[in-house]
Amino acid sequence: MPDSLQSAIRAVAVKQALPTGGNGNCISLSDVAEIAARHHLSGHVVEAEALKMGIHPLRYLRNMNDISAASQVQLLESSVAQVGLGGLGGSLLEILLRTGIGKIRGADGDVFEESNLNRQALSSPDNIGISKAHAATERAQTINPSVDFAAQDTFLDDKSLPEFLHGCDIAIDALGGLNMRRSLQHAAANVGIPLVTGALAGWTGYVGVVMPGQTGPADIMGINNAAEEALGCPSAVVTCIASIMAAETIKTLTQASSLKGKMLIIDLKSLSFETVII
Amino acid sequence: MGIEIKCFATLARFLPENGDDYPLAKGETVKSLVDALGIPEDEIALIFINSCRAYLESELADGDRVGLFPPVGGG
Repeated sequence: MPDSLQSAIRAVAVKQALPTGGNGNCISLSDVAEIAARHHLSGHVVEAEALKMGIHPLRYLRNMNDISAASQVQLLESSVAQVGLGGLGGSLLEILLRTGIGKIRGADGDVFEESNLNRQALSSPDNIGISKAHAATERAQTINPSVDFAAQDTFLDDKSLPEFLHGCDIAIDALGGLNMRRSLQHAAANVGIPLVTGALAGWTGYVGVVMPGQTGPADIMGINNAAEEALGCPSAVVTCIASIMAAETIKTLTQASSLKGKMLIIDLKSLSFETVII
Repeated sequence: MGIEIKCFATLARFLPENGDDYPLAKGETVKSLVDALGIPEDEIALIFINSCRAYLESELADGDRVGLFPPVGGG
């Protein structure tokens, strides 16, 4: 990094009480944005550089201690490819943006309809009929402009998946329905990156982390969508599954997920959580 | 002591009242259990016994915890 970037960051650092105790140097949102614009960089690059200098972006201060400064740098320098911007995808995107993943690619060719409003975080009465990719782009800019977010308004298929995943560190399966999940799992394996997957029907759901070549939920579940159609997708379950998927994404990027090669089976009605070796 | 049965999502309707302590017949397999409960085999995607994936032909033993899970893919 050029010295001028480091001196610009150092010049605006302010002492502040840290959640870990004591005082530390911090940098504000507006200073990150100003330096990023002046140096023609994305905000996440400035934030990562600041963290390497021991200067904490205020917006990530409450990620400490659970996400260390070194892990936060890893996240800011990571690229995530998320397929689906609906129920799971909308909640996941919100968490990943706030967590501070540096680059996020999203894809969804769908538009919002009224039946999405019960659960899809990106939907609102004002954007019925509007593209999910468009709503995601607006939301990303609103929540965290430091993140490089790019959304494709397309339904990915066997042909377009490899290019979409290429160059990313991890793939996220936030698809609705079972039809494309196997293709995505195979595409992630072929590109050589881990896949975080999750799905639900009614009060029941699961989360899995699939390393390239491993058996994954998509190998087991087939393509029959009857359960989801009969039981629906309540918001409390969607958000819970999305949250666990986000946690496993963060862990896979920064250390290791303990869910590799396994499925966490969840039932929120009976409050049962069981990790199954598949 | 019998076995504990968990039926998830659309399979919940097949869970017997004594699913917490279901008596085990001699030589019982997952297939004979599923038949006894009246669950169509094609409605089951994932079977697990004591937190490990199992199959229709897997044998059951006293104290086992059996999970029966349908195809689930909503988001």
